[in-house]
Amino acid sequence: MRYLAAVLLLCVLVPFAPARAENEAADRGRILFEQKCASCHTIGGGARVGPDLQGAHQRRSEEWLLRFVTEPDRMIAEKDEIAVRLVEQFNRIVMPNLGLQASEARELLAHIKLVGGTQAAAAPPQPAAAPLPRPDLIAPQSIVLGVFLFVSAIIVLVFAWVGFSTRQPEEVNVKKAYGFRKALFATASAVVVATLVMTMPGAPYAVASLKADRIVYVAARQFDFVFSDEPITSAADLGRIPTMRHLDLPANALVEFRVTSLDVNHGFGVYGPERQLLAQTQAMPGYVNRLRVSLAQPGHYKVFCLEYCAAGHHAMQSGFDVK
Amino acid sequence: MRPANSYTLYWMGVTFLLFPILILLGIYMRTVQAGGLAGTVTWFYPMMTLHGVGMVGVWYVAAMACAADILGRYTEPSPAVRGLALGGTLVGVLLLLACVFLGKFAGGWYFLYPLPFKGEWPAWSAVAFLLSLTVLGATWLVWTLDLLRAIAKKYTLTQALGWHYLAGRDEPAIPPSIMIITVSLIAGVAALAAGVIVLVLFYQELFTGAASDALMVKNLTFFFGHTLVNLAMYLGVAAAYEVLPQYAGRPWKANKIVAISWNTVLLIVLFAYFHHLYMDFVQPGTLQYIGQIASYASAIPAAVVTIFGALLLVYRARMRWNLASLLFFLGLIGWAVGGMGAVIDSTISANVRLHNTLWVPAHFHTYMLAGLVFLVFAYFYHCSQEAAAEPERAGRQKLVSVLMVAGAYGFFLMFYLSGAYSVPRRFATYPAELAHGGAFSAIAAVFATVFLVGFLLYLAETGSRWYKAMQTAS
Ligand code: HEC
Ligand code: HEM
Ligand SMILES: [Cu+2]
Ligand SMILES: [Cu+2]
Repeated sequence: MRYLAAVLLLCVLVPFAPARAENEAADRGRILFEQKCASCHTIGGGARVGPDLQGAHQRRSEEWLLRFVTEPDRMIAEKDEIAVRLVEQFNRIVMPNLGLQASEARELLAHIKLVGGTQAAAAPPQPAAAPLPRPDLIAPQSIVLGVFLFVSAIIVLVFAWVGFSTRQPEEVNVKKAYGFRKALFATASAVVVATLVMTMPGAPYAVASLKADRIVYVAARQFDFVFSDEPITSAADLGRIPTMRHLDLPANALVEFRVTSLDVNHGFGVYGPERQLLAQTQAMPGYVNRLRVSLAQPGHYKVFCLEYCAAGHHAMQSGFDVK
Repeated sequence: MRPANSYTLYWMGVTFLLFPILILLGIYMRTVQAGGLAGTVTWFYPMMTLHGVGMVGVWYVAAMACAADILGRYTEPSPAVRGLALGGTLVGVLLLLACVFLGKFAGGWYFLYPLPFKGEWPAWSAVAFLLSLTVLGATWLVWTLDLLRAIAKKYTLTQALGWHYLAGRDEPAIPPSIMIITVSLIAGVAALAAGVIVLVLFYQELFTGAASDALMVKNLTFFFGHTLVNLAMYLGVAAAYEVLPQYAGRPWKANKIVAISWNTVLLIVLFAYFHHLYMDFVQPGTLQYIGQIASYASAIPAAVVTIFGALLLVYRARMRWNLASLLFFLGLIGWAVGGMGAVIDSTISANVRLHNTLWVPAHFHTYMLAGLVFLVFAYFYHCSQEAAAEPERAGRQKLVSVLMVAGAYGFFLMFYLSGAYSVPRRFATYPAELAHGGAFSAIAAVFATVFLVGFLLYLAETGSRWYKAMQTAS
């Protein structure tokens, strides 16, 4: 009986002993990946600023990968054939040298192998996104455009009328004109005050007394957005605090995004299924902006970065679904 | 005939040289956004930075050159400082070209902290950029202070601000252009001082590693940027006040209303910059509302006093229309239309949908390109024509104006439409969801080229006169 137990135990442990060490390395690799690579890469989630790293260990040699991860800048400068081709493919955004040790690179590769291996069948390569047609203009954007074009037309007409009046020169009655100016001043002031009173209550700032139904923490960094249920305030939190790969939000609930940045200023711009801006706030290092939205329309929402943040700015995006 | 000031002519030369290059960069950006020249996309952001800093810089100094020229008729600015302004600006521009072309620096024209330290460009190029701005800022501050000194020597500053009109006295008569220039220069000292503080904070971090507060630096940055751009516009308006009456054959004098109006502007313009921080929800709410009130309020003196005054000046006047008077008139239209776009954007509840979309470049290009640039072009043409006294051909001058107006407004309209469709500003290329941004860019590139052709014809008109004026310059 004792023998049997010992043999069983051995059967269980022996195959796992080296695997455990590998798993530990892969786990350190996972944290490193979240902190340093996930802003540009996924493993099996499709290309982002840089290529999808799923299967990287199959398409490249171990030696090449180790070197590229530790000194991509040198390899690109030396015109390594594969590296140069990748740079061309990825909008010439150059992968930064992140100052990694060789041991860290090995841990990262272990993580990429592990995740890439288990998800191999799950994620088919994404097709390149085809351009979508222009959507219909939503309100209030359509109103803004209409008001602007209308007032501009009036401005141009008035100037044109005055310009053409010089064809029939005549002395003008300045007193009368000053009377007219008084009326103009009164009207303009009234319009300004009325518009202020009408539009100021529409300001997007959070009202403390209203409790949000759902709070989502957002950490922006060059060049992605990280969603989580707990606050992420520094790069060290990444990989320790669980993040959401996929975010679903209930329709019509009051959702509060608590938005911050881990590096430079970014913008958190929420685009609805009509692909137009519904709300936005800035993501600022050292501060948390609370953006409250209640989204009625179900569908896929996109988030684009709305503050210039260097080379990957236009590729910095995320999204969520409203159900 | 009236000989031109040689420094004014030098500044014209600098403007005529740099402007077409910067326009080409603009056309290049719209081409990349339309999907063209894909192999050069990594140059988009460096070129955007160069275009932005370059254009703001060129049109600020061009407007200052007009102001200095006007002041030269009434006061005595120091010739040494005039030389320094030109020399310092050239050194700054060389540093800027080096950091962008050799270092691919791409921090954007207002280099929002801490981006210059955290981009893909080498550290030295960020330092070169900061040095370039330091040289430019210091030079312009000295220039501004000297012009204020010259004003204070002839009038007193309170007189130049027209405070005696407020007290009900009409003597001494102050030309309205002097009053506006004084207001603008004082705002300029404030703006440049804020810019200097931002630079000092950057240097502090560079040397001691002490990080700054992102929100505070953002406030300082936008106070600097907003005020600088606005005062450049006012200097252009001052040129219109100075010269347009000569073409209308009527006076445009200062009085109590004009004094109230421009003193209010000075006060309001310093608070309107808060509208740049509406989407920073941690900024105290009161400041946000002050931003909207100040932005709206700044439209009233502009519309009711200046635009109305200009229209009254021209209405049924025995107007002499030529390239100068036409461009002054068109420039005031661009100021009004662009200002309207800005006032809409300064509505907090609209800003949620417009902030950092192409609506922003839409309105500032309108009042810069169709506003300030036209006003300065008008003044430049006026100065060279006065000195050269060449015969003018009305048909050709109309063609120049039509091409520039059609090109500019077509180009703006694509920005406005893109902004309404939520296409973000400062995207090198557009994602599939916003592919219509690319289609608008392609059309805009064509219109911008039409503008460029119009500008080259303007250059032919003014250039020959400029050359002749050089021979007789004082
Ligand atoms: C700023 C964005 C960015 C970051 C951060 C980043 N990469 Fe990259 N990576 C890229 C880009 C872009 C490429 C494509 C090559 C190029 O353009 O330089 C790339 C290429 C690669 C490749 C080659 C892929 C292939 O198909 O052969 C590997 C491996 C890689 N990166 C690993 C990493 C690892 C590991 C990290 C984290 C330590 C990391 N990257 C961080 C942008 C990034
Ligand atoms: C025909 C002339 C011009 C063209 C074609 C042009 C084109 C452009 C384009 C395409 C952009 C980038 C827009 C974006 O995607 O964000 C831009 C930005 C800019 N332009 Fe122009 N422009 C012109 C004239 C001017 C003028 C006269 C000024 C004067 C102040 C100016 C100042 C700027 C500034 C400050 C920026 C922002 C740069 C930044 O975001 O850092 N431009 N321009
Ligand atoms: Cu960004
Ligand atoms: Cu502003």
